[in-house]
Amino acid sequence: MQTDRRRLNAPPGGTAPPVFAALPDTKLQRPTRSRKPDEHRKLFLRTGIVPSASGSAYYEIPPQQQQQTALLVPQHSSLKITCTVHGPRPLPRNAAFSPNLLLSAHVKFAPFATRNRRGYVRDASERDLGAHLETALRGVVIGERFPKSGCEVVLTVLEGEEDGWGAGGAEVKGEGWGIMTVLAGCITAASAALVDAGIDCVDLVSGGVAAVIDAGRRGDQEDGVVILDPAPSEHDGEIGAACVVAYLKSRDEVTELWIKGDAGAQVQILIDEAVKAASLVRAVLADAVKDAVEAKIGEAEDDAATTGLAKEGKGKSKEVVMTG
Amino acid sequence: MANGTAKPPGLAFSRETFAKLTPGPFLQAHLQQPEPIRPNGRSLDAFRTPTIHTGSLSHSNGSAVVRLGDTAIVCGVRAEILLASDIPHPPGEDTSEDDLVERLGLLVPNVELSTGCSPGHLPGNPPSTVAQALSYRILSLLHTSNLINADDLRILYTEPASEDDLPDEGSKVVTKAFWALYIDVLCIALDGNPFDAAWAAVISALKSTQLPKAWWDPDREMILCSPLATETHGLRLDDIPVASTFAVFSTGSALKQRSEAESWVLADPDGFEEDVCSETVTAVARSDDGGVGSITRLEKSGGGAIGKAAMGRCVHMAQQRWREWQGVLHGG
Repeated sequence: MQTDRRRLNAPPGGTAPPVFAALPDTKLQRPTRSRKPDEHRKLFLRTGIVPSASGSAYYEIPPQQQQQTALLVPQHSSLKITCTVHGPRPLPRNAAFSPNLLLSAHVKFAPFATRNRRGYVRDASERDLGAHLETALRGVVIGERFPKSGCEVVLTVLEGEEDGWGAGGAEVKGEGWGIMTVLAGCITAASAALVDAGIDCVDLVSGGVAAVIDAGRRGDQEDGVVILDPAPSEHDGEIGAACVVAYLKSRDEVTELWIKGDAGAQVQILIDEAVKAASLVRAVLADAVKDAVEAKIGEAEDDAATTGLAKEGKGKSKEVVMTG
Repeated sequence: MANGTAKPPGLAFSRETFAKLTPGPFLQAHLQQPEPIRPNGRSLDAFRTPTIHTGSLSHSNGSAVVRLGDTAIVCGVRAEILLASDIPHPPGEDTSEDDLVERLGLLVPNVELSTGCSPGHLPGNPPSTVAQALSYRILSLLHTSNLINADDLRILYTEPASEDDLPDEGSKVVTKAFWALYIDVLCIALDGNPFDAAWAAVISALKSTQLPKAWWDPDREMILCSPLATETHGLRLDDIPVASTFAVFSTGSALKQRSEAESWVLADPDGFEEDVCSETVTAVARSDDGGVGSITRLEKSGGGAIGKAAMGRCVHMAQQRWREWQGVLHGG
């Protein structure tokens, strides 16, 4: 294994994640979907959590049900994403002229985000997520208003959606469906952070996921059922195709579309459902942004009130007069 | 001024502009008052109040989120198994218990600052010198304070008696494997003093760490763990060291006499103060029998403004801080 000389590395012998013994007497119950096919999980979104950044947001989908038994391995997956936006700021001197805002998106999973420990260096899947996110955001930001400047959108996934259900063991035979939900969360969080940073956008962009399940399993429904916001741990091995969209509701535009798997004849329905999921998410996004703006206005009013009064509170006079 | 009669209009700067243009004089003006108050509203020796949440990450054996003002740090502890047979150069019998953790490298702390926590640390680059230094300081502090007991990390196996054993010998207990702890520290928001916050996050995460019950399965020749949360054990951390950092602001310069310079010690500096001050002191206090807090580590870097008396005051404040933290750490 290549050692990273800038970080502290694993002990020379190499370590392995623990293997859990099967419980003889208890049968583990797989989590099931208790919400309706067109119902989204509850989510939490808040902006302005990182004061040192121009804009920031925190996005969370809490676990659906409580842990059934006292097990160490989590049965339900949750999603926690923080996003910070730095900029717009001037490009370095040696950079070529750019008439538009140069947007760059980084997505990184924390080492403890998933069941299998992740490294510190971004791997190919994280870079791919970053590229997807960048295309989703580029269609929203009005880049012409910020020539010669750059903007960094940095997302850290503190807890990622599971790819499947582990059956109490440490291994999950993942098919990579969890990453779709992560991307949708990243899009929504990034949109909220961009607004928090005050970067001009044409609309709020929100991410939505839909999936085709049970394709070819039930006799009467050959094509399967389309559901909104699938949690992969609840549909272990049932998902046939999934779709992520980045959707601008008020303009009715899609800036990013990613379909994985074979949806067959249901592609159109799948995309429509993903758009519906994105519209549901947008309501939460709009509320979070509205709350933040109201808080900001309230603060500004308070400030205006205090500056009108005497300013002895913090000891020093707050203004310096320079005369020419 | 063409005619020189009209008075030019005054240029009024807001407080933020003044702080950005001339941070040094701005801070000095605050500190020179008879009752010095720092720009952030704290007095000279006031620390920020920490808040700690533990156990919020589902994929870690132990985790903590520590907030110190606007600095927020997440720490996750993840345990993996290092088989004793995989160790390239096993330490001899004479290695003391205290050295074993260090010899085997069972603790792997890494501090990641490039999570977009501040504009100075953007991702896409290798870890900065600050991040590397922080990781190393945490590692060396974990080792010098002997926080982790090697016994807690051993996975033991009692070998069954075989025919060629002497009958009067008891059954032999061998160490089949060790738990290696990956301590991943992610800075979510940075507003000064990352070391204190990171260290607090590390110790709170270690305190909440639960290792599963593990045993050697001779048939499958591997280590198996019990998935039950009731069959876990924690780490014995009887004595928790606490770090306190101070920044020293000095008006001294190479062009002035040293006696003319004034200096102030600022406890728990925020990001703005850290940028202006070049000298820092970090004191780590741990318990002694008297409940005062003995100093286990003292670091000072940059500048020469702080003298013996001021250093003594820092140490005293660090001991007080240690007592305050005991309540926070043991309470939550």
